[in-house]
Amino acid sequence: MEEVWGGRRALHELACHAVVPAMTLAIPVVQALQVLTVLVVAPGINGVIARVETRLQGRRGSRVLQPYYDIAKLFGKEALAPFGTGWVFLAAPLVAMTCYLTVPLLIPVLTTFPLPFGYMGDILGGGFILALASFVIAIAAASTGSPYAQLGASRAKTFSAITEPVVLFVVFTVALVTGTDLPYALAKTVRASADQIVRPAHLLAAAALFMVILFETGRIPVETHTGTNEFGMIEEARSFEHSGPYLALLRWGSTMKQLILFVILINVFIAPWGLASDASLLAVALAILALVGKCALLGVGIAVIDDSFAKLRLFKITEFVSAAFMLAVLSVFTLYFGGG
Amino acid sequence: MASLIAGVAEPPSSFAGLTTALAVLMLVIEFGMLQATLLRAQIRLYAAQSVVISVLAVVVAFARDVPELYGLAAFSVLLKVVAVPLVMFRLLRRTNQEIAGSRALGVASMVLLAVAVAAFGFFASARFQLGSPVLPAAALAVPVAVILVSFVLMIVRRDVASQAIGFFALENGVSLASLVVAAGLPLILEVAFLFDLLVAVVVFGVLIRVHHEQSESLSTEALTELRG
Repeated sequence: MEEVWGGRRALHELACHAVVPAMTLAIPVVQALQVLTVLVVAPGINGVIARVETRLQGRRGSRVLQPYYDIAKLFGKEALAPFGTGWVFLAAPLVAMTCYLTVPLLIPVLTTFPLPFGYMGDILGGGFILALASFVIAIAAASTGSPYAQLGASRAKTFSAITEPVVLFVVFTVALVTGTDLPYALAKTVRASADQIVRPAHLLAAAALFMVILFETGRIPVETHTGTNEFGMIEEARSFEHSGPYLALLRWGSTMKQLILFVILINVFIAPWGLASDASLLAVALAILALVGKCALLGVGIAVIDDSFAKLRLFKITEFVSAAFMLAVLSVFTLYFGGG
Repeated sequence: MASLIAGVAEPPSSFAGLTTALAVLMLVIEFGMLQATLLRAQIRLYAAQSVVISVLAVVVAFARDVPELYGLAAFSVLLKVVAVPLVMFRLLRRTNQEIAGSRALGVASMVLLAVAVAAFGFFASARFQLGSPVLPAAALAVPVAVILVSFVLMIVRRDVASQAIGFFALENGVSLASLVVAAGLPLILEVAFLFDLLVAVVVFGVLIRVHHEQSESLSTEALTELRG
């Protein structure tokens, strides 16, 4: 009997040892999964927000998966370019998509530990890549000669120049708190102790970043996300002249940008928990689920904001941004004077 | 610089963080008053600011074991959150005018101006080298900024209601400062301050009514006209 049990235990141990290496993912695979998660989940988050928003308005709303169907439909359509546009117009969606695929390499999407490319760029580096994406889209819109696309491009550039100082001050706060400006470092600092979360500098910077994200993703106090009124449009108007697969890439890219910003807010600032602390399959799978859950929750919050506020007049957007700027500056002040 | 960053890198204790966050929340509400466009919103912002300072008093009383502060918090809730807003609402009930457009500057420039003034307050109070036994140093810089921003509020808003609220908010800043510097200030003194505030509310209320009856508006522009 003893022998049988011993034999079974040996077998069991053998099985465990055989299974464990298979359960651990290679680090490059995890790195690729970060990008893939953002790529695949992004339209779904948009679908969740649209669904919750319409439910709150007492309408039935479209399916959560509707954005995927829309993108698939657009990929099957013919692509037309306005007369006189050059290669810039057609290259822009591809360049933008490449940018959005690069940023998830730099930020903690799934893991608490930095992946090989994690230290390739800091928050500013990620910001530059996102800015490059929006720059090429603006160039493409400007090259079309269509008034609405140009209006969207010029507005987007004007207002992003105003939000830039807010982002800078948020980065300053991160730098003062961690001594570096790597997103992984701040996430680690926040996880380290509960004291980090209630410190006013962190709360103020997170609030300022949230307001910037509302602006960058074209949500309600700034822009109607699903409207058809061109005069109120900022970012949405830029893709008016693109069609077919190019439009699909732009749509997909804009949902990816939204998810990337959500991930930065959630996994770096407000809730860097539920990430994988090693490369085991189970931990990474749980991290993906946790990420989807957290982003969906944030999306519900954004849908509630969408339904409870009115869109600001175009010239009132500066007031919105000045409030965000005030929060970001106060967070640097409290850090400098008294370690808040 | 390196030492500064090293000093900043370690987080304050939860108590220090929470109290400073509450103090900063008061400052943020003060900024909100700068751009409030409705009379009711202005009074509600003041009430919210008073709620925050009462909560702060309770937190300090609990964490630092200063039981008098519970009494102070109760008094300040009764007076600043209930009585003052009620009196203001009653006095201004008949004025069906709003205070939108009484700003001397645009909202964005006003906020930038107030941020600069608050920065001055932060720098100035950092120079004092004042320490406090009960609250962190950052919490001392905030009341100075609150007081300065309420001056800005009184200067850039040209309506009597905002100016009165700015004066009351200034008193909130002063009581925040007294909470930081001398949390054990005798209760009777603090309560005397609060009753001073009540007198100020009544006087301001009467002045606002007289002004409104004479000029049919809440704006102070009418006061610059010469009378023969």
